[in-house]
Amino acid sequence: MGIGSSYNISDQEIIEQLRHSGIDKIKSEEQLFNRYVYFIREGMSKHSLTEDDAFDAYSDTLLSAIEKISNGTFEGRSSLKTYLYQIFHNKCVDLLRKKTTNKQSVHRAESISDKYEQMSDPAKTIIQQLIEKSDWDLLKKKLTELEEKCRKLLMMWADSYADKEIALALAYKSADVVKTSRLRCLDKLRQLYKTY
Amino acid sequence: MESLDYIDSYFKGELDPSDVATFEQKIISDPAFAEQVATYLSMLQVAKEESDDNKKNKFRELYNQHKASPSTSTIKRMWPSIAVAALVAGIIFGLYVFVKPVSASQFADRYIREQLQTMSVSMGTQDSMQATINLYNQEKLLEALKGFQDILQKDPSNFQAAQNAGITSLRLQRYNEALDYFKQMEAHKELYSNSAIFYQAITLMKRNDPGDSQKAKALLQQIVHDNLSGKEFAQEWLKKM
Repeated sequence: MGIGSSYNISDQEIIEQLRHSGIDKIKSEEQLFNRYVYFIREGMSKHSLTEDDAFDAYSDTLLSAIEKISNGTFEGRSSLKTYLYQIFHNKCVDLLRKKTTNKQSVHRAESISDKYEQMSDPAKTIIQQLIEKSDWDLLKKKLTELEEKCRKLLMMWADSYADKEIALALAYKSADVVKTSRLRCLDKLRQLYKTY
Repeated sequence: MESLDYIDSYFKGELDPSDVATFEQKIISDPAFAEQVATYLSMLQVAKEESDDNKKNKFRELYNQHKASPSTSTIKRMWPSIAVAALVAGIIFGLYVFVKPVSASQFADRYIREQLQTMSVSMGTQDSMQATINLYNQEKLLEALKGFQDILQKDPSNFQAAQNAGITSLRLQRYNEALDYFKQMEAHKELYSNSAIFYQAITLMKRNDPGDSQKAKALLQQIVHDNLSGKEFAQEWLKKM
């Protein structure tokens, strides 16, 4: 994709494409990246971050925003630029504060908590405590041991793609086949993790 | 599988309200079930992180492209930032003059530790390559090296096999072999991104024989001058070496 092509469509179109998933979603993620890539320089100048740290802050900003736009949490009360810049500013400040800690934790903290937010408090507390005991490094390593198609399927699932969209993207016969395959892949990963 | 299906239905919002209550009660009363629910969510988490890592890699490629050809409008918009960044960079550079230089070997160690501990498999990679990469990721380096060598023997033009064999040799501290593989990579002029020179520089920095440091420095300067893969690291290291 060319660098200049991100200026051909409006912010609203990017938001719509991100909300509707499908193959256009990947394209719109790239368009979004190119449109506000100058934030990286601002991170370097205004927050005195290194280029790598500013890049990380910008990438994490986009990942967080893409998730919120996709799941409808972004309501569009402010312009996309203002919204992104606010997240970016916070990420830069987080990075400066957590300079000596694991940078990944900046993004991890907000990832799955909303999944069990709907649970009753006693159940939520139990799940929270168990998740905190997870061996993330081991689980991540075991994920890389799965077959490539399995891994791609799980990544798309984690990215909130519907089974129907995954079927199209990864050439499965139907959404039902995707669901069965997804559960098999999860079962395989669980076994690899638990039998280690 | 059955319990996974049940857990999956809950998180996809497919259960009736009464079944939702039963599900949540089971978490409280059945520790083994609660463990399965937590594992399901942890698996979702790592899959999300893996996906995010892939996206970040894609963003990195886009950023490198952007730096190679910034548009006029971008430059205009960034001009105030560039001026400030230049000032900041000048101050930082000034500070570097007074700090103790870091050895090339330390940079290489850090790079190997942070960037070369695992390999990722790209779309369309053949099974034997994936299996060998899995060996590498399990730290079975000797077996992995043998695997990459076998692939390379069958297909001497396989760029990824040469690169992976070089990286594995580097991790095994077989520096001369690593250099041979990285030189093989250089032949692939058709590729948009080729890290052959960068990996040779790291190998020399790590081997640290007499004269290696100077050779590595020359390669890093070449990387910066010709805008080759690894330029950001090369620029950073050259400032401090």
